Amino acid sequence: MTIPATWEPLSAVDPVLTIAQDLFTTMIDGEPGHLNPWAGADPDLEDPRYTWVDVNGPVVTRVMLTASRVTGERLTRALLGMDTVEYVCDADFADAVGEIANVVGGNVKSLVTNPGALTLPVVTHERPDMDTATCLLETYFGWRGAPLGVGLWALT
Amino acid sequence: MKALVIDDSRVMRKIVGSILSGVGFETLEAENGQVALDTMAAHHDIVLCCIDWNMPVMTGFEFVVQVRKRAQWRDVTLMMVTTEGEQDQIVRALAAGAHEYIIKPFTPEAILDKLQFLGLVEVQETV
Repeated sequence: MTIPATWEPLSAVDPVLTIAQDLFTTMIDGEPGHLNPWAGADPDLEDPRYTWVDVNGPVVTRVMLTASRVTGERLTRALLGMDTVEYVCDADFADAVGEIANVVGGNVKSLVTNPGALTLPVVTHERPDMDTATCLLETYFGWRGAPLGVGLWALT
Repeated sequence: MKALVIDDSRVMRKIVGSILSGVGFETLEAENGQVALDTMAAHHDIVLCCIDWNMPVMTGFEFVVQVRKRAQWRDVTLMMVTTEGEQDQIVRALAAGAHEYIIKPFTPEAILDKLQFLGLVEVQETV
């Protein structure tokens, strides 16, 4: 993993995992223990959605979450206190997963040296083009058995 | 008592609004700072604003600055509820006139503790 000189040390998953676990414990699950590192090979996500925020600054840092549509719907229901079978519309889906990315991104921002403004969340069906970006972290967490991808990228 | 929850995320407005309703607030919502100013102008009995920082149209910080320019709103309590957790951001908001600052993610207890500290809800006695 290449880390730009303008970054504080960010050599392990732990800081991001801790941020995500705090978020899931306090605002999604109401109790700890349901978000953990993904065990096993990287999963294939069915019908994935990509959600990201950028931290502007000397290096633009992208925080991106990837989840299947089904998992995103489960997260939306959990955040909004909906029934487990209740229909999730696109607006609620984008709002909920966008807010998760926003909270993770905002806390990651505190790890960045000289951070600038945090952008508003973007949710897409297609993985954004990051061919020229430097991957700082790409891993998966497991939430109640479902995989969630988390990535940090330095954009050039 | 009326509280205004200002956040571009409906999810977050619902979560914060639910916490406030649970302790007796009548809650109003606004999706950005400009809508919040309009809502403040239409409701003169708002005593508390919970304010996100990053929003389109008008940010939460700009909202705080605008509120503090108006004498008629000097008694309104302003509490930032945001992912912006850097020390200089917190100092900026407090210097601009915010009373309290909560960083997302938060627990309901964290918000209630702040409201108790601000004297907006009664301290619960534990038996």
